[in-house]
Amino acid sequence: MVNEEESEAPVELRPMLDYRAVQTWLEGLKSHWGGDPATDDPERLPILEAFCRLMNRDPDQVIKETTMIKNGEKRIRVKGRERYANAINAWQETIQGSRIRQAKWGNTVRSFLIHNGVLLQSGVHQG
Amino acid sequence: MEFKEVVGRRRSIRFFEPDRPVEREKIQKMLEAARLQSCAVNAQWARAVVSFRDDLKPDQLKRLLTPVAALNVEMAPVHIHWFNDLSIVNKIQGSRLRELVDVGALAPTHGWSHKFVDEFVYPQILKPMTEGPAYPVYSTFDVGMAVANALLAGVDEGLAVCMVTLNGEVLKEVFKTPAEWIPMPTILVGYPAENWDGGGQRPRPPFEELYFEGEYGKPFPRDPKVVEQLKAAKMIQEPARPHSPERIAEIKRLADKYGLPM
Repeated sequence: MVNEEESEAPVELRPMLDYRAVQTWLEGLKSHWGGDPATDDPERLPILEAFCRLMNRDPDQVIKETTMIKNGEKRIRVKGRERYANAINAWQETIQGSRIRQAKWGNTVRSFLIHNGVLLQSGVHQG
Repeated sequence: MEFKEVVGRRRSIRFFEPDRPVEREKIQKMLEAARLQSCAVNAQWARAVVSFRDDLKPDQLKRLLTPVAALNVEMAPVHIHWFNDLSIVNKIQGSRLRELVDVGALAPTHGWSHKFVDEFVYPQILKPMTEGPAYPVYSTFDVGMAVANALLAGVDEGLAVCMVTLNGEVLKEVFKTPAEWIPMPTILVGYPAENWDGGGQRPRPPFEELYFEGEYGKPFPRDPKVVEQLKAAKMIQEPARPHSPERIAEIKRLADKYGLPM
């Protein structure tokens, strides 16, 4: 569905905390909401890792594909952002469980992008 | 509600109760307030298309969603899309100024007459103005004032309101507006899912940086006694504080309730 280049070798992922974009995400969560984002939700990092495997990209690559530097300024790649937004929406629908659980999985990845400066919004998901 | 409190209570609310409908009469009151706003040469450039979200076809609603405003648009049950009708001045050709002369709003005491409107104001000022590059700017100022009245009327009715900018070309297509109407911002309307206070009055630049007396650079002095009066009248309210634990808890609650990312 999402991996358009089927010939690509599967991405080899290091522990999620090794990636700069993941560190940025957790720093953003801590700064905005408090707590210890590395441990307060044991599902957080595995969910991101599952999405990265689906997309065959590591977390830093995901951010690289949704942002760029133009004239010295960070910009959002419109097509990259849209591609990932659609991929998250589609992936979320495939998650087993309630709509709330589906939303949690999608929103975890959205949160990763948001705290890396990529604006994304979800729809309303009520139980 | 007293006027000053209405001004003080207005917030851009971004969490609406998505399933709580808004009474039609409250929307009408917002439009009535817009219509009564001051307007240069009484031209009335402001136009609006009221859209009840649940009356839109799914593909129409989807087209309205922009990256920044998608969630707000989906949550708000009513959208009032504003437009600037640039054609109006050349359609009415000064007739509304003549009405003002007739009712004594513009009087000979100030030099006004039908003849002045017909022979000077319209042909020598207004018509050339419509051909100049600044015309959309002048007229948009007046639309903004009408929209501000509508916002405040909404607050007075206990509604949550928020201005957003949607894709103008999409608005023109979805709502089939005339070519000469320029899309302006949209007011989203509903009932607040968050506390009306929204965490407090939003930050503004210091008064002295914005307003001057006599000439630029000499701030208009801000009298603390007046500030106290306005606090008593609830126009100046508790400011929103950075990283307020109460506000953070409220947003977490809303994120949980509506399944939103954090």
